[in-house]
Amino acid sequence: MKVSAVRQALLLIALALVPAIGEAIYFRNKVSWQSPIPASELVTVEQAQSWGDNVIWVDARPENEFERDHIPGAILLNEDRWNELLPQFLGQWSPEKRVVVYCSAQSCNASRDVAKRLRDEAQLKNVFILDGGWEGWLKNKR
Amino acid sequence: MDLPSRSILWRIVALIIGGIFIYAGVMKIFDPVGFANDIDNYKILPWPLTVRLAFYLPWLEILCGLAVILGLLYRGGLLILTMLISIFMVASVIAKARGLDITCGCFGHASRYLSFFGHLALDFVLLAVLVALWFTNRAQRQEL
Repeated sequence: MKVSAVRQALLLIALALVPAIGEAIYFRNKVSWQSPIPASELVTVEQAQSWGDNVIWVDARPENEFERDHIPGAILLNEDRWNELLPQFLGQWSPEKRVVVYCSAQSCNASRDVAKRLRDEAQLKNVFILDGGWEGWLKNKR
Repeated sequence: MDLPSRSILWRIVALIIGGIFIYAGVMKIFDPVGFANDIDNYKILPWPLTVRLAFYLPWLEILCGLAVILGLLYRGGLLILTMLISIFMVASVIAKARGLDITCGCFGHASRYLSFFGHLALDFVLLAVLVALWFTNRAQRQEL
C-alpha cells in the first residue's frame, strides 16, 4: 500500500512537469533565470549619481533604519506602510525622473518587492534597483 | 455516525482541501516571478533553482488538489500535499528563527498580509486535515 502511494506521488510529480515546462516557455523572456534582478534593472551608485537631479531615491528599509540614516533626499517607501507612503512618494515623482530603490544590502528583497509594486501597481517605468543597496552606498562614500 | 454518513463527511472534507490547494496553485500561476520572490525570501535555495520551482510547484499543487477531489491517484496526492505543507512549515520556522521577514506567498498576493503565526496556524490545520484524510482512507480500505 505504501509503495502504491509513492508510485502515485511519482506519477503526479512527473505529470506536473508538463504544464510547468509549458508555462516556463511562455514566460521565458519575462523572467530572469540566473539572478533575481535582471541586469537591466540594476544600477550602480556611480551610474545613479551620474543622473544628477533626475533621480528619486526610494528607501525600502523599515522606518527605524531610514530614520537612523539614509541617502540624502531619499523618500521612505516600504511595504509595511505602502498605502500611506505611496501617495507621499507620488507627490514628489514626475515622469522624467528615474526611480532608484534600495534596501539594506545586496541580499535583501525589499527593494525588489517595492520596485515590482511600483511597476505593477503604480504603473511606473524607469524603476531601478541600487546594486549593493545601502551598504553599497556607504562603501562608495568611504 | 454510521459508515455512509462518515464517508460523505470525509468526501466533503477532501473536496474542500483539494479546492484550497487548487486555489493556492492557480493564484501563483499568474505571477510566477512574485512567487519566485516569495520563495527567495526564505534564503534557502539559489535563484536559478528558486525560479524553476516557482513554475513547477503551483502545477504540482493543482494536480494534487485535483487528485484529492477526483479520487484519482488520491493517496499520492495526499502524500505530496502533506510533504509540501510539512516542508513549508519547517522552512517558515527556520526563516523566522533566522530573523527573516518573510511573505509566505501560499495564496499569491491574497496571503501577503497574513502574519507569520496566522499562516503557520492555517498550515497546521491543513496538515491535520491531510493526515486525517490519509488515515480515514486507510481505514476505509481495510473495511472493504
